[in-house]
Amino acid sequence: SKWKESLIARTLARRSVNLMQLVYGQPVSNQASAVSDSSESEQSDDEDFFKPKGQANKGIDDKSSFDDINAEDCSKFPKSDLKDWHARDLIESIKDRFVTGDWSKAAK
Amino acid sequence: MGKVAYKKLKGSKNLRQRLVLATLAGTPVVVEEIRSEETSPGLRPYEVSLLRLLESISDDCLVEINETGTKLRYKPGVLMGGKRHIHDCGLSRSIGYFLEPLIILGLFGKKPLTIRLKGITNDSKDPSVDTFRTTTLHILKRFGVPIGDGLDLKIERRGAPPLGGGEILLQIPIVPNTLSAAHWIDEGMVKRIRGIAFSTKISPQIVNRVIYAARGIFNSFIPDVHIFSDHRTNATGGGSPGYGISLVAETTTGCLISADVAVSDRKADEMEEEMDEKPKLTPPEELGEQAASMLLEEIEQGGVVDSTHQGLLFILCALCPPDVSKVRVGKLTPYGIETLRNIRDFLGVTFDIKPDPNSGTVLLKCVGSGIKNLSRKIS
Repeated sequence: SKWKESLIARTLARRSVNLMQLVYGQPVSNQASAVSDSSESEQSDDEDFFKPKGQANKGIDDKSSFDDINAEDCSKFPKSDLKDWHARDLIESIKDRFVTGDWSKAAK
Repeated sequence: MGKVAYKKLKGSKNLRQRLVLATLAGTPVVVEEIRSEETSPGLRPYEVSLLRLLESISDDCLVEINETGTKLRYKPGVLMGGKRHIHDCGLSRSIGYFLEPLIILGLFGKKPLTIRLKGITNDSKDPSVDTFRTTTLHILKRFGVPIGDGLDLKIERRGAPPLGGGEILLQIPIVPNTLSAAHWIDEGMVKRIRGIAFSTKISPQIVNRVIYAARGIFNSFIPDVHIFSDHRTNATGGGSPGYGISLVAETTTGCLISADVAVSDRKADEMEEEMDEKPKLTPPEELGEQAASMLLEEIEQGGVVDSTHQGLLFILCALCPPDVSKVRVGKLTPYGIETLRNIRDFLGVTFDIKPDPNSGTVLLKCVGSGIKNLSRKIS
């Protein structure tokens, strides 16, 4: 029902991702199981022992940059789609981040 | 020689950071499987160039690369610094790629470093030299790097890809003993926007069009916008035509948020091999708007530095003496996350990372590893 929607949205916004886990990985107990998983997958890989180099390359491209051990070393984080900053509501949304905006709102 | 315990790493990912941290922590490293699965395996020319640069500024350092370039052995030496270094950065990556590790290493040398770097000054892949001058060097000051003379970057010639021909003079002072921890969580409000738009070997009118477009976006936010123009011709303009813009937003608490873009007639290099047609050049108006939008998005994200400088910020925090540093950044970038992992691996520093749900930013706390400038001459 409609009255629940705002509640759900608020709960989702409040639920914080565990960034420590995201950055440094799972605790040790889980890691052990993850290792055994990867060894199994290696065994299944025995069938296609010879892989053309080009194909392996394509497989890496599909993965996220975190898994790719040869990801490009680049500190810039290019955004593919930039927002249209002519839009009125978008301008309003960050107006208070400037000294010309409302100072009381910005002082959180 | 054979007794040295090498730290084993895989892949060319974050090579620069790993080399920097290995040098500062004094850990010899072996990097294996460098692009071993790719059609053109091994180290890229810019990576080899970086290793040569490391060799030239340090004493007794050892770099071994195997025949195919897929394996690298690096034993750090003592960082010497010194004057009159000249390094040709080549044309495969811009000078920004080399500056990022160099400014950290320079701080921990025996003598202040003065180096002349030649190559591409502005491209879209790496932070431009303008951004370094206006933003990156100021971040160092937050961590107790001596202010004043000795920390400087002069752009003597500009060089756009593909032919480059740019030249900069970088001066980095040494830290007397250690850096100092920073408590840097208040980003403040943006009070002014500054920028530099450049052009090489094309009509100076292009620069004005870029500036005009960028200003147009900022007009609805803040009146204090000034974008300088830097038009280079002949010898100081390098070998290729190109133009670009670097913007910096300065806040009331002295934080600097930057964004830069550049356009040039880049030849299809190995990265763009798949694309058959030539990448289209962005027109000046679009480029100006793009740069302005990028800056506004960085401002929207919050944090005391922009997304490009997250890695540098974390490394500086981790190099501080055993004291608590606290910083605020916007959304963590993949590069920032990798930096945190590398810092843990090399320096044993783990950050306490907490999201701040009110502003959508991330707060990071750490206790520095207490790296001292051991190369410094003790009188």
